Amino acid sequence: MEVEISRRKFLQGTATMSIVGGAVAGTSLLSAGHGGGEHKAAAGMPSSITTKTGTKEAKEVPFLCGMCVNKCAGFARVEEGIVTKLNPNPYFPKSRNMLCPRGNAGIQTTYDPDRLKHPMIRIGNRGEGKFKKVSWDEAYDAILHGTDKFKGLVQILDEEKDNRATIGYCNGEGLSKEGFEDLVGKKIGTPNYVDEVSICLETAGGGFFATIGIYPEVDVEHSDYMIIAGANRAEAIITPDTMDIFKKTKGRGLKTICIDPRFTNTAAKSDKWLPVNPGTDLAYILAMTYVVFNENLQNEKFMQKHGVGYKEYKEHILAKKYTPEWAEPICGIKAKDIYSMARDFMDAESPILYPGRRSIFSPNDYQLRRAMAIFQALSGNLDKKGGYIYGNPIMLPPEFTNAPIYTQAKERFDTDGIAFPTIKSGSWIVFRNMVLEGKNPYPLRVMLMRKHNPMMSVPNTAKTEEFLKKMDLNVMIDILPCDTTMYADVVLPEASYLERTSPVKAYGFLEPSVVQRKAAIEPLFETKTPEVIYKELAEKLSKPLFEVSKKHDKDLQEQIKARGEEKVYKEDGYDLADAWEMPIEEKNKEVIEKVYGEEAWKTIEEKGVYYPHMEEYHKQLSPNDYQYYPKSKRFYSTQGDRIRVICKYDNLATGGIDAMPTWKDEWNFSVPNGKFRLITGRHAQFTQSGTTNNIMLRDLIGTNFVWINKRVAKKMGISFGDMVEVKSEIGKVQLKAYPTEKIAPNQTFMLHGFGSESEGMEMAYGNGANDAVIIKDDIEPAFGAAVMHSTDVEIRRV
Amino acid sequence: MARYGMALDYKNCINCKACEVACKEENGVLLGADKHRIWVGTQEVEGEWPLLDIISNTFLPSQCQHCDDAPCQMVCPTHATYYDDNHVVRVDSDKCILCSYCMNACPYDARYVDDRTMTVDKCTFCSDTRLARGETTTACQNTCPTKVRTFGDLDNYDSEISTLLRTREHFSLKANLGTKPKLFYLT
Amino acid sequence: MSIKEFITSIPVNKVGIKDLLGFEKSPRNLLVAVFTLAFLAMFVVGVATYLIHGHHAYGVTREHPWGLLIAVYIFFVVSSTGMCIVGSLGDVFGFKDYEAISKRAIFASIVTIIAGFAVIAFEIGHPVTMLIYNVLSPGLTSAIWWMGTLYGLYLTFMIIEFVFLLKGDMKNAKRFGLTGLLVGLAAHSNLGSVFGFLNARPISNGVFYPTYFILTAFITGVFIAFILMGFRYKLNFPAEIKKMLEGLAKIQGLLISILIFFVAWKMLTDIYGGMPNRAEVAVHILGSWTFWAEVILAMAIPLLVILKDYGKSPVLFFWVSLSGMVGIFFMRYNLVHDTQLKPLQMMKTREYMIAPEWVHYSPSATEIMISLGGLGLCIAMYYAGTKFFNLDADEH
Repeated sequence: MEVEISRRKFLQGTATMSIVGGAVAGTSLLSAGHGGGEHKAAAGMPSSITTKTGTKEAKEVPFLCGMCVNKCAGFARVEEGIVTKLNPNPYFPKSRNMLCPRGNAGIQTTYDPDRLKHPMIRIGNRGEGKFKKVSWDEAYDAILHGTDKFKGLVQILDEEKDNRATIGYCNGEGLSKEGFEDLVGKKIGTPNYVDEVSICLETAGGGFFATIGIYPEVDVEHSDYMIIAGANRAEAIITPDTMDIFKKTKGRGLKTICIDPRFTNTAAKSDKWLPVNPGTDLAYILAMTYVVFNENLQNEKFMQKHGVGYKEYKEHILAKKYTPEWAEPICGIKAKDIYSMARDFMDAESPILYPGRRSIFSPNDYQLRRAMAIFQALSGNLDKKGGYIYGNPIMLPPEFTNAPIYTQAKERFDTDGIAFPTIKSGSWIVFRNMVLEGKNPYPLRVMLMRKHNPMMSVPNTAKTEEFLKKMDLNVMIDILPCDTTMYADVVLPEASYLERTSPVKAYGFLEPSVVQRKAAIEPLFETKTPEVIYKELAEKLSKPLFEVSKKHDKDLQEQIKARGEEKVYKEDGYDLADAWEMPIEEKNKEVIEKVYGEEAWKTIEEKGVYYPHMEEYHKQLSPNDYQYYPKSKRFYSTQGDRIRVICKYDNLATGGIDAMPTWKDEWNFSVPNGKFRLITGRHAQFTQSGTTNNIMLRDLIGTNFVWINKRVAKKMGISFGDMVEVKSEIGKVQLKAYPTEKIAPNQTFMLHGFGSESEGMEMAYGNGANDAVIIKDDIEPAFGAAVMHSTDVEIRRV
Repeated sequence: MARYGMALDYKNCINCKACEVACKEENGVLLGADKHRIWVGTQEVEGEWPLLDIISNTFLPSQCQHCDDAPCQMVCPTHATYYDDNHVVRVDSDKCILCSYCMNACPYDARYVDDRTMTVDKCTFCSDTRLARGETTTACQNTCPTKVRTFGDLDNYDSEISTLLRTREHFSLKANLGTKPKLFYLT
Repeated sequence: MSIKEFITSIPVNKVGIKDLLGFEKSPRNLLVAVFTLAFLAMFVVGVATYLIHGHHAYGVTREHPWGLLIAVYIFFVVSSTGMCIVGSLGDVFGFKDYEAISKRAIFASIVTIIAGFAVIAFEIGHPVTMLIYNVLSPGLTSAIWWMGTLYGLYLTFMIIEFVFLLKGDMKNAKRFGLTGLLVGLAAHSNLGSVFGFLNARPISNGVFYPTYFILTAFITGVFIAFILMGFRYKLNFPAEIKKMLEGLAKIQGLLISILIFFVAWKMLTDIYGGMPNRAEVAVHILGSWTFWAEVILAMAIPLLVILKDYGKSPVLFFWVSLSGMVGIFFMRYNLVHDTQLKPLQMMKTREYMIAPEWVHYSPSATEIMISLGGLGLCIAMYYAGTKFFNLDADEH
């Protein structure tokens, strides 16, 4: 009797990823004789998808969730070596004693039968999915020396005369992110890092940083008025904001105005929803600023004291006549609403213009965030209760990495069209496109990738595919056989977050704390924790790469002549593995004991969290509420006179960016007749493309649908569930239709993270549509970050 | 013993479905939309863009209401559905014959068939998991990001839930049917 | 006398396989035989499928847990109660005209209820558990418990009454017949109350089902009486049988008129005033073809035929009874389906779905096979009974 949903039932007739020489891997594990979704045989695997918790004694291991960026703290309940439940950890101020649906479903990621179980090397063509199971040593060897299918690092670096910049690397957010940056960026020595921030919040963060000096937290608890625009906190959960905001909306103390092109769950929870045209938020922010200046509603004293270029900004806004009447046709918000918002905002005791953190709407995003920061400053509500919080973040002593100097390494080249190319994080789109167009001044031949899925996360999948195929060597460290892994030459399987102890990290401005993730179970199958992989990779690469440097790097040759090879190797950092000599558990102990003492270490080992005075501050107030810091001890105001609000930023002009937020007509919103503007967004049950194979979360959202306005759908003869084709100028996808009035007649939306092409992921393969295939690769001019909302699409029934 | 109930500050609910996942993971419930012990219901929003009726899109968590006068336990021919010591409505799967009478008698769509035992199953207030271990919260309450739920003993005057029900207005679902549900939605 | 002597003195014909197969091979008889064997085969296949796949072989869902098998079970027990009533006219209440059918009717009531039990045995998930715990921990507020227990008792009484009828012991037959009738009526109205007690289902809640069940039982009994008599006499009715059938037809006319009256008022009171969960369900029912099948086949056509000449055409009424039974089947199916039409919770549980409006159900192949199989069982047992026992009225 089939008692559980067969994972195979979700898909018809898929070919599994074929792995030669391996024990059953991927979905063939399930075909071993039972139709039910049962996990079999591998030691330490549960025998059913969900496991009922027992009443016997169990281990409660403090962990930090890795399903998204928030790193909520929890306790993993381990019974007989199996994680049966993930419970919230009530000690972490940031996560407020909760786990969201993804946090709870983390068990399914760890026990996903499709997980990468052992190292593999490619024996077919890139993208085909034909791999061979190998041992770790063989995998490392393949990286160094290649196979008949791909070249090795030694050969490539030799041919490039030790130009380390021929190696590019990308990395996913997480607690082991810095480790990878240290390994590839500092130790192996390439500057060509394409950080995931360039397809995410780099610009938003940059705008705030440049204007008020930080990317602030907000004190929702004491705020009474909030405008939340383009930040869907009900579905894009950010701790602790999500938990705090929705206890106070709907007339319970926080008047919330939600501004969003579509009617999200946040809009449903707000007191008012104003639809706005995508990418035109700057218009109404400027208009609100105009109203404030025109009616003299701002906190003049505050601005006089802290503003830089304030007078010029005021003149600029008034001179440009950014009236609500001017803004209305651009952004679609009625002038009277803009007037009342501006007035209510300044009238409120503690207003917050919610900063928001996400990928870019339009090329004007940098200016938008600057204008938003200035607008908030006009109310004077910075660095106080109920406003933007600078707080007192804990700074753990930084780790020193002995980074060698590779004189042959050239500089990064992804600067085309970017005003302020970052030295560290780069721009994915510019980087990739320049390589494809041959505009790079030296060959880029290697991509070392970890926990990143550019095939699904970077706009214009076709180009990403071309780019990956162009490389001579692709290495991927990952948990699941995602789309990008299909293009790797060497695949190293990483242990999931429940199987590893990670470096301690500090979080929080208002209520800071330090948290540690401990491994609940040993790494499953043949996977290894990231730090172990870094160490082993470093050990294996150290000497061979040193030999290449010795051959080509004249400075190094001189140093060796002068001081001797052994000394140079050890002292100048060429021993790549010296950064990982101490296992992570010991490193954590050292850091914590050094800063806070032995008691703190005991606390963080047991409870996963530590902050000074935790024993006296932390109290349970009720079954649901905890006090982390008493109000008198929270860091509401810490800046004093140091606050600066940079209204006019002359430096920007050097890059061709306006020194003050200014509207340009090229940003006006218009959609050709019959087409739809595609916008992106989040859903509480998914984290981008990382969760598409999670069977529990797939139970909550089976597939993605494309939103079409109900009346438009009716005219086009499209009903719920009909297959439609969504086509843009760079690609087309097919998925089901969801007619709804929650979206405007000339716009459309689909959830991100579906449409995987990797046959190795049974749940994700062929399910829904990948929006990266159709989103154009436009960039915004400040950092080259990817613009997500500029694509027009056609929709038709198929 | 106790008389357990739950108060829901449902306006906090953001329809994230953390409670659904936590319930399934804690109690080993099978996957599938028809195998819900608890769920968050939502209505299609009314109105035409851009004039949408915000209120129409409420999120309403629901589950077995553990009624004090439960029709399900009245109609069970073998007393498989019974009240335990804490006045929680339970199903003894040894006695259930799957006549499905309780599934039709429950006004709240709380019951479903567990395919493994082929008996009727539903929310148990985590009685045989968390409560059996001495914990005081249910899985759904504990995990909720916006702390919608408060579980507790209605007979204990001092408990959090009793205080909430004394001081805040609340309603129950289908109260006119006389089932005396023990889930209270705080307004 | 002892039990053993009692049992051995029951008049049973000595019948072998050859005798069973030795029926007149007319086309009509062959047709019935083929269908019966086909149905029996279907029963075996259906049961086998169920034993392998469990409830997954059925089309029942969380929102619609009672399906075709429940409807067929009700169909059979209604027929059984109906036959009991018709049978009681003669030997319990002493209406001489109807004595001719008593034995046959009582036997038919036994056979139909056994067929009904056979069908429901494969719908109840754990029949053995039921037998144990119905006794050990009975739910005395449960209509299903009362119905099950009373039907068990009723079957016992019917068997005993039949035995006494066979032996010609009219006094004891009358005693057990009356008791059996009363228990049967109680059981049957409890079956109605299974639906009537459902507070959650306003369309079914109330006095209607417990009472109208008895009425429709009688109607069903009359239909079946015509069918049984038609087969017995091959539509060539002797005079006293004709008289009895005419009387039955007149009774049927009265009963159907009352039924139409009841159903019409039920629909009207359901719709009037637009009460939520009741009015829209009633309107939906009026728009469904199964409702009109029920009305036309089981009510309109029989009534018209009776009114045509006040019940004087039993042959025509035999054919009407066959279609009438189809109508009765739809009546049972509608009852079960209508109760569950309106979803109990009307909200979307997932973002990407259409909000629930009406609960849909269609029987699976296995359910249909078991149902037809039950019918086959019923026919087969009845046929065997006609051979083993003398079902005609005794000559006094």
